[in-house]
Amino acid sequence: MERRIRVTVQADPKALEAVRGLVRGFARSWGLPGGRVDEIVLAVNEACANAIRHSYGSNPARSFVLAMGATDRFLEFELRDSGKPAPRDRVAPSAHKHPNRRDVRPGGLGVGLIYRVFDETVFEPGRTRGNRVVMRARRDSQTRTGQPRAGRPAGGRGGKHKRQDASS
Amino acid sequence: MKTEVEERSQMCVVKVAGDVDLYSSPELRKAITRAVPKAEALAAVDLSGVTYMDSSGVATLVEGLRESDKKGIGFVLIAPSQPVLKVLSLSRLDKIFDIRPDVGEAAGA
Repeated sequence: MERRIRVTVQADPKALEAVRGLVRGFARSWGLPGGRVDEIVLAVNEACANAIRHSYGSNPARSFVLAMGATDRFLEFELRDSGKPAPRDRVAPSAHKHPNRRDVRPGGLGVGLIYRVFDETVFEPGRTRGNRVVMRARRDSQTRTGQPRAGRPAGGRGGKHKRQDASS
Repeated sequence: MKTEVEERSQMCVVKVAGDVDLYSSPELRKAITRAVPKAEALAAVDLSGVTYMDSSGVATLVEGLRESDKKGIGFVLIAPSQPVLKVLSLSRLDKIFDIRPDVGEAAGA
């Protein structure tokens, strides 16, 4: 697939705001509805935050690459870093089904959120170093949360969408 | 992101405005960990002015909830904005929080 945009991002939390602006502009340019754009921005931000914090320990001397592209059916976001590989059990889809307050740990919430937002997600931690994350959103996909209200659980299709796990 | 801490009788309110992300959430963590010990009965976080929140913000709120539980006081979220409701819902942690529409309601909790 053609990568229409490819950026190198410093592993500095301060870079995240600019990355969100770029992802928002890209998703909007493909005509996705506003609520869905918000979710995609949030989930790509989580993947970048994990690269910054966990792959590189927020060391701004390091950097990762974010590429964005589109096919007839999907918007695709790919992240590549050369830092510490994520533990495979932490990025497995099965680890993120039912979070609760006891298992909130750094990075854990973000991975679950990425799985819930994207139609297809593949985490590929390297054997000795580096990580690759591919996230695909159908161009006709709907928001996962509908219009959330205070004290009301999420409606819509959250948690039921098709996924691919790391082995696929 | 900006935070303000307001002490009221029995309660301490942290008011947050702007983007809460990996860059800014440590500042929110500091404000909440300062507020919880000052609160006699209730710690509250006013999220009406939050324009964006990621999972590091959610983890910070969970930490506030845990600290308040430990101290035996209440912990409420006041008027979370749409971006906050969205990240709580997508994190599947929206139900663990006591959410109130305003400070007055929270005070009567």
